[in-house]
Amino acid sequence: MGIEAAVLQLRRGDLDALSTLIARYQNRVYRYLLRLVRQPAEAEDLFQQTWLRVAEKIRSYDPGRNFDAWLLTLARNLAFDHLRRIQPSSLDEPVDDNAPQETRLSRLAASDPGPHDQSLAREQARHLAAALETLPVIYREVLSLRFEEEMKIEEIADVLGTPLSTVKSRLRRGLEQLRQTIEASYGKAQ
Amino acid sequence: MNGIDEHAQIREQLPLFVAGALDAQTEAQIARHAASCPACAAELERWQLISGGLRRLPTPQPSQSLVARTRTAVAEQIAERAEQGQNRTVLILLVCFSWIVTIAGWPLFRFLTGGVLSFLDIRFHQAWLVFAIVSGLTWLASGSAAVLLSARRQQERRVAL
Repeated sequence: MGIEAAVLQLRRGDLDALSTLIARYQNRVYRYLLRLVRQPAEAEDLFQQTWLRVAEKIRSYDPGRNFDAWLLTLARNLAFDHLRRIQPSSLDEPVDDNAPQETRLSRLAASDPGPHDQSLAREQARHLAAALETLPVIYREVLSLRFEEEMKIEEIADVLGTPLSTVKSRLRRGLEQLRQTIEASYGKAQ
Repeated sequence: MNGIDEHAQIREQLPLFVAGALDAQTEAQIARHAASCPACAAELERWQLISGGLRRLPTPQPSQSLVARTRTAVAEQIAERAEQGQNRTVLILLVCFSWIVTIAGWPLFRFLTGGVLSFLDIRFHQAWLVFAIVSGLTWLASGSAAVLLSARRQQERRVAL
């Protein structure tokens, strides 16, 4: 079943269509939420809320719009509402520099099973994931949407509800800040 | 544009270059410059290490139990909304039925008790009392039907869960 057909069927209350959509998007939605809130327990809660919101809002979904962008926008709105509730200043400010480097995201990267001869690549991924977590959420999300979700700049602007110039500006600053963090923490070998 | 300015401009664009956020003309310009400038090529390679690393980050996956819980929660929400819609429809129908009985009951009652000529008699006598009782019973029956239907649906949902 294609995405468009699944969306139409979900509008009619078809639960099989819901299963199709969840199976198709579960990893992307969860990864995006985890990048935003960083805590797996919070990401799980928001994951469930996102799909409840999908079921609630599916009738107002415009089929002419990109479903990926619409879905991630719902997830983003819930995540930002959550972040505003728990820590109003966290949306713009970098996280505490003294926070432990061994974070959940880095543990996820490190726990990825693989042969020992790939340990260097895994170590680099762990450093990168740890550095990514230290960025402000507005940079984490554009980097995740561009490099992990592989969304076009126009699609990212749609999700964020911002002009293209803002997306590009955040991409540039996010990458620059990420590189500075990596080089400061692990040297230029990264 | 002198050489230093060009290097600076090229390097400033490199983060957006590796992000694929530049137009084709600027991308071609940067690629040409990097091909002939080892220093900028090395800088580009560093940015590519970062962008490549971001693309290869492991994808965290939700647990199967979370996915199952989510499916169940959404299915319940959809079922609940459908039930609310049905309840609303039934309630509207019952209210319409009650109003129809109320409005149509009086002339019907007069016709049955006094014939066609009774319509010309505007006096109420004691007939209004019977009419009021019939109307009251109609509304009571409709209300009871709504409550019983709601209770039955709730019981069916409890059994289904």
